[in-house]
Amino acid sequence: MMYAIPFHHMIVGLSAGAGTLMGICAILAWLSNRVSNLESSKSTLDKASYAASILTLVTLPLAMFSGYYSVSDPTGSAIFYNKFIFSGIAIGFTSSYIAGRIRYGTEIWNHPALANLQMLSALFGLTSIMILGSIGSKITLGESTLDILPLWPEFMNSIVINQWVSLFLVIIGVSSVIISFKMMDSSNKSQI
Amino acid sequence: MKSRIIVVSIILTLLLATSSGVANPGGKGDSNRDFTCGGSCHGDPSLSSPSPAEIQIDMKSTAFSGTATEVSISVSGMELSNNDLIGIFLLGSKNGNNDHPEDYGWQIIQDPNGGTSNYVEIVSSENTVTVSWVLLAPMEEGQKEIFASIQHGSMYNHDNKAFIGETDGFIVNIEPIPENYPTLEEGWVSPDERVSGDSSAIIIRTVNTDSLSVLWRLPGESQSHEASVEMISDQEWEVSIPATLGDTRIEYQIISSMGEFSNQMPWLSIGTSDPYFDGTSLGAKLQSFSIIMIIFGFMLSLQTWFSPRGVSNLVDNTNEVEETISQQNNDYWSRLIKSDENPGWLWDPVEKEWVADPDLSRGEQ
Repeated sequence: MMYAIPFHHMIVGLSAGAGTLMGICAILAWLSNRVSNLESSKSTLDKASYAASILTLVTLPLAMFSGYYSVSDPTGSAIFYNKFIFSGIAIGFTSSYIAGRIRYGTEIWNHPALANLQMLSALFGLTSIMILGSIGSKITLGESTLDILPLWPEFMNSIVINQWVSLFLVIIGVSSVIISFKMMDSSNKSQI
Repeated sequence: MKSRIIVVSIILTLLLATSSGVANPGGKGDSNRDFTCGGSCHGDPSLSSPSPAEIQIDMKSTAFSGTATEVSISVSGMELSNNDLIGIFLLGSKNGNNDHPEDYGWQIIQDPNGGTSNYVEIVSSENTVTVSWVLLAPMEEGQKEIFASIQHGSMYNHDNKAFIGETDGFIVNIEPIPENYPTLEEGWVSPDERVSGDSSAIIIRTVNTDSLSVLWRLPGESQSHEASVEMISDQEWEVSIPATLGDTRIEYQIISSMGEFSNQMPWLSIGTSDPYFDGTSLGAKLQSFSIIMIIFGFMLSLQTWFSPRGVSNLVDNTNEVEETISQQNNDYWSRLIKSDENPGWLWDPVEKEWVADPDLSRGEQ
């Protein structure tokens, strides 16, 4: 597609920036319960992280689609396939972060177990986005900043699941989301 | 006047948008090319300069028509650019068109990089390069010429010039093939590469051969090993060479025999390619979507699991909102003052206006 490459570059920059902001602000908001200096900034960090997570959730699928149209064979090698998988992981954790924030509001940071879960969602989302950036850098430049790490996944290989198994997993995933929402409803009713 | 300014502005913008160009400093890859072309304008004297390199062609001065022969090209004394890249041409002439050896009856069985191109690009950190092509000699007898040419950049190259070097023709006498001379069939080409771990046999087609043996070795190995060969049909042989992994190039040498006479051919090589990747676009999308759903469902369940009693969802704040509205209504009605002069009306001292008394109007009606 004609403008897919420049659009992909732009949107990847946005999603990487928003994802980083989401991750860092969420970690700082989580730390604000433990570090007294951060307590006054808790509300600001929470709002910044929330806004950044929404932007990340908008830009990540756009980055996926523009990336798909930027190359001639988007799933022709393991390294491109891995981009789809890590995009899925990043979107999954980012949407979980947003869901947690919508369900519990700012109160989420005042309950240790929920705050830990929220911080982990943001952290895993950020890590997936970092891996995505690293894969992109490997494709375009042949190297990435994360090469300095002693242990790093081999992106030239990927775990390819049969399409029918993937479809079965989609059904399992959708079912698990529906069951989770049902659990939410029953939990709310029991509280009332 | 305004339109002229717009046109001039557009032209200026377009002119400023152009970037300074250099020819292909990173190379253009192996391919079939004529002399001086190389995908650039290197033939232009203002854009090129003679290379200080010394180029030498080494091959047998006599070859039987239609038989395999090897040509080695050694280049030394050059000073390469930062990327250590040099392009080497094997040519049948230096006319600038139809210079490919195949235009003169030669057939490339294998180029130095394992393909069948007459132009290859080599990366060398030293200032000496030796490469070899394996060719089938022309069927036409008589004298034939082979030329070599090079192109490269240079570390101190402020004018971005291409450095060009070339040889004089190396004369090869093509002699008639002896009767029943065992050799490769015309048109047979060595396979470029095999998939990593693939040990499937290589098919070799010959002429005038009643027995065939194949030796193989790994690069740098001095001792060669004999491969298993099986004749699958007349003049067609199946050769089993061990599978390779990584980016190994395995070398092999064909020796075709007819009676007591043997023809030992030049060493050929086969590269190793990455395993075939069987992922599909639909599979990637489904897998990605399933991961999103599973993670989302799992995290939602964990949130519900960890949710302590008393942490109500934002959607359940209806009571708080209703209480706030009720409080605001109470504040409003309590500040209104009854007036005897205007029965049925209440005075709002904040908004400074009369408001109909709902109790009185409801009672009267």
